Amino acid sequence: MTNPAVQVDQLRKVYPGGTEAVRGLGFEVAEGEIYGLLGPNGAGKSTTLGVLTTTVHPSGGRAHVAGHHVVREAVAVRASIGVVFQDSVLDNEFTGRENLLLHTRLWGLPSGEAHGRITDLLATMGLAERADDNVRTYSGGMRRRLEIARALLARPRVVFLDEPTTGLDPAIRDELWQLIGRLRAEQGATIVLSTHYLEEAEGVCDRVGIIHEGRMVGEGSPGQLVDQLGPDLVELRVAGDPAPVVRAVAATGIGRRAPTVRGPLVTVPIGDRAQASHHLAALSSDGIGVVASTIRRATLADVFASLTGDPITAHEEAA
Amino acid sequence: MAVATVTLPRSAPVRRPLAGLGTLYLRRLRVTTKTVSGVIGQFLTPVLWVLIVAPALDTALGGFNPSIDYFTYVAVSQATFIVPFTAMFNGLNVIVDKDFGVLREMLVAPVRRPLIPLANSLGVLTIAVAQVVVILGLAELRGAQFHSSPVGLLWLFGAAALLTLGIYGIAEILALRISRQEAYGPLIPAIGVTPYMLCGALFPISVLPAGIEALTKLSPWTHALAVMRHGMMQGTDSGLGDIWGLGSETAMAALSLGVLALFAAGTLALAVRTFNRTTTA
Repeated sequence: MTNPAVQVDQLRKVYPGGTEAVRGLGFEVAEGEIYGLLGPNGAGKSTTLGVLTTTVHPSGGRAHVAGHHVVREAVAVRASIGVVFQDSVLDNEFTGRENLLLHTRLWGLPSGEAHGRITDLLATMGLAERADDNVRTYSGGMRRRLEIARALLARPRVVFLDEPTTGLDPAIRDELWQLIGRLRAEQGATIVLSTHYLEEAEGVCDRVGIIHEGRMVGEGSPGQLVDQLGPDLVELRVAGDPAPVVRAVAATGIGRRAPTVRGPLVTVPIGDRAQASHHLAALSSDGIGVVASTIRRATLADVFASLTGDPITAHEEAA
Repeated sequence: MAVATVTLPRSAPVRRPLAGLGTLYLRRLRVTTKTVSGVIGQFLTPVLWVLIVAPALDTALGGFNPSIDYFTYVAVSQATFIVPFTAMFNGLNVIVDKDFGVLREMLVAPVRRPLIPLANSLGVLTIAVAQVVVILGLAELRGAQFHSSPVGLLWLFGAAALLTLGIYGIAEILALRISRQEAYGPLIPAIGVTPYMLCGALFPISVLPAGIEALTKLSPWTHALAVMRHGMMQGTDSGLGDIWGLGSETAMAALSLGVLALFAAGTLALAVRTFNRTTTA
């Protein structure tokens, strides 16, 4: 990749106390790309974004953003980025417009340009009518839209979004993902985001990197990753011991990989849907405990489970 | 990967070393004075001291030294009450910025990080200087007998400024380390007010027990007050002699100002160091 917007090589971070949050991570993000860092809580996503936004000091390796070294040229890195944090980070003493104005001053935008840019982005985000209200009166979705507007004000080369939809209701989450996709096209910025909402990332990211315990375990476009896995899956719901079902599935030869077991579900990636359908009827009537069977398209969540041996749990999805 | 682009991202501009300082300073000032109650709160105490408490003290205690106009004596000393209290109180704003996350936005801004606590300190300094002006202006109107000059005013504001910066350095360190308003709150009177009682504000330090007197000579409050009185009450006992015991008032004032400069530089340097350590993992 020539002149990547983000370049991470053998990145390590060990926190005081010995916790190794990032263990030799490496990836690149092309100019104009939307790249998703996926993984459960504690995988190392936020630490990685912390290094890239210069709020976490790396213990080893190298990272460059917009061509600038994150430690040696930290101010230049910060001049090239916009950040949307996981938690709301607005100055509650001020109005929406004043919050944006503070940002333009800190980023050194000329006054004339700043006012025009603020007006444009407030309109784009549907906040023009509430621009002069105190941000304390904003809903969660409005606050998040204002934060995205703020991150884009100085026309950053790279925008970092740390779990941008966490804590928002599903309708607002959908709206924000659409907005992010639209803004990439309109603003031309590179976007790096972290999320554990895998289905949402699948819809918006050009490429994703799957992080597990501080390491990159899979990388590619969502379609590539899903195709590599299956692209289809057989999912069998089992009553009782799944071991006979796993053995029976393996014996059919339909699986592209070994079956995985999560609770009562036995899942196996397949290459040939017709062949799998043929064998499913037999498996269901063998009396080995199969109570339901489905063939479905694999998802990033399946890719994640396959690569890490561990699904993103319902608890993390809700976090 | 082809992407339709309307506006090309610009490259990172080269930023001056102090870029952002003015913006951070104005924000701090604006946050502190944003509400009417905030403004009244900053200036109510000095007004009450000068108009009510100082005259009352003059009536009750004014006869202890006939050569001193006691009202003027305590009017000057009110600066060493108000300024440290303001500095300590503004440490709460640091905790609020951390609690509500605004600090995180500043940390990813293209400004040099030490400028953030330094801008805070300049905001507090501005308020403190305004308070000193209010105190002395009202005292003058109320009948204080100041004997000063432009140089005397420089001594006064120099000492007040350095005391403010030094104590704000302590406030910033404590606010960054403690991080909880309920834990920080009790420190405001403990650090902001207690030393005032022993710095010669209401009576000369020479009447204190010998051990306590020796300790008060180390206190920045004592040095600041003596320099302020040197600047505003020329020809009377400033208290500098009790500290240094030298013949030249000017030399002693310069020494005390030097102590205050070291105090301010030391606490602000520690505040910047603490800021860097506590805000970057």
